[in-house]
Amino acid sequence: MNGVHDMGGMQGFGPIEIDQGYAPFHSDWERRVHGVLCIFAINGYFNFDDSRYAIERMGNAEYLTTPYYEHWLAGLEIVAIEKGVLTKEEIEARKEELREKGEPLYG
Amino acid sequence: MANFYLTKEMAWDVFKTGAVHRGERSEGPRFKVGDLVRTKNQHPMGHTRLPRYARGKVGTIERYQGCFIFADSRAALKGDDPQPIYRVRFKHQELWGNSYPYKDSLSLDIYEDYLEPDPIERAEI
Amino acid sequence: MSHDHEHSGPPDERALRIKAIESLLIEKGIIDEAAVDELVDIFEHRIGPKNGAKVVARAWVDPDYKARLLENGTAAIAELGFSGVQGEEMTVIENTATVHNMVVCTLCSCYPWPTLGLPPSWYKSAPYRSRVVIEPREVLSEFGYDIPDDKEVRVWDSNAELRYLVLPQRPTGTEGWSEEQLAEIVTRDAMIGTNVVPSPDQTHGASL
Repeated sequence: MNGVHDMGGMQGFGPIEIDQGYAPFHSDWERRVHGVLCIFAINGYFNFDDSRYAIERMGNAEYLTTPYYEHWLAGLEIVAIEKGVLTKEEIEARKEELREKGEPLYG
Repeated sequence: MANFYLTKEMAWDVFKTGAVHRGERSEGPRFKVGDLVRTKNQHPMGHTRLPRYARGKVGTIERYQGCFIFADSRAALKGDDPQPIYRVRFKHQELWGNSYPYKDSLSLDIYEDYLEPDPIERAEI
Repeated sequence: MSHDHEHSGPPDERALRIKAIESLLIEKGIIDEAAVDELVDIFEHRIGPKNGAKVVARAWVDPDYKARLLENGTAAIAELGFSGVQGEEMTVIENTATVHNMVVCTLCSCYPWPTLGLPPSWYKSAPYRSRVVIEPREVLSEFGYDIPDDKEVRVWDSNAELRYLVLPQRPTGTEGWSEEQLAEIVTRDAMIGTNVVPSPDQTHGASL
């Protein structure tokens, strides 16, 4: 699909912000998104083509205004729902439970 | 779907083994190294690995990469449809216009499905 | 790290969302929590550009290895013990006096994990992905490499399941160096192709 993910040759994104060193994750939620998505795929519930296509459908405006691992998170949620493993309702319900508990989520 | 259950103990070996991307089909590759080819000008609503900037462009087949699972088909839940991938080299002038001032080029891995069956005729239009 | 958001206050919406998904998948017996921990450790600590640097250094000192590496990248890289997810189909492309190669994934963030680890933020960013195919020389200049006009740039957009590693030119001033010494000066950016490996004469005193 002709989404904004297909960026080759677009103009106007400005200079490249070059980061040095090997620091693949910047917070625990990014670590968990990466690990969960990979294992969900390794365990055979979907493949990387499915998750790439899911990311392409997260919405152009949202894609451009969110960091990289939010793309993965959106893709993970879309495939989990499309493959019939989770429902949107149970994800939202669990989020509310976690919010009310108010305990540290990670670390 | 038969599912796997990765444990901590298996993780490193499974990572090191990787996934299988290749497949087989009875028909051989349609194009050969050195052929001039044109990519299709197509805009599917589904997933595709042919970037917009390389659609409807003429390039040269530089290498036959083997037969691979077709990403577009798998993402559309239409099966693996294994087919040849060719490494195709495009001149920068073909992609970005004749005013591009250097002798630069770009390589893409092109599924056979992305190529016109009659590249030369189309190229001469 | 200033990037960390583990401050007090309301929980991060993204942390809630992934925790919700992860905990549900664990309860349903779909994924194992300890396996997630292990995989994260693999990505952070057991792969990374140090692996690719060993491949490059070996190719610089051993012409037979270099020939095998350029002929069948996957097999030659596996000789050094590096293989795995997103490195199943490796091609190594050689920079020469007349050709400079650089790698991108314009559609997403495809990258050779076993040899380079996970990509830096800039590799996944809109400016890099959009610009490197249409103005590679300006991009190289931003990384600090002013490429001569008569040197050809070849851009490799890794759009399918094949992954690319650039074999940089061995810099002058490293004659007689050991393989281990050479591996120390090979940079990630040089293996993506957004820069060259500088001669140690030029980087005297710099931290590598």
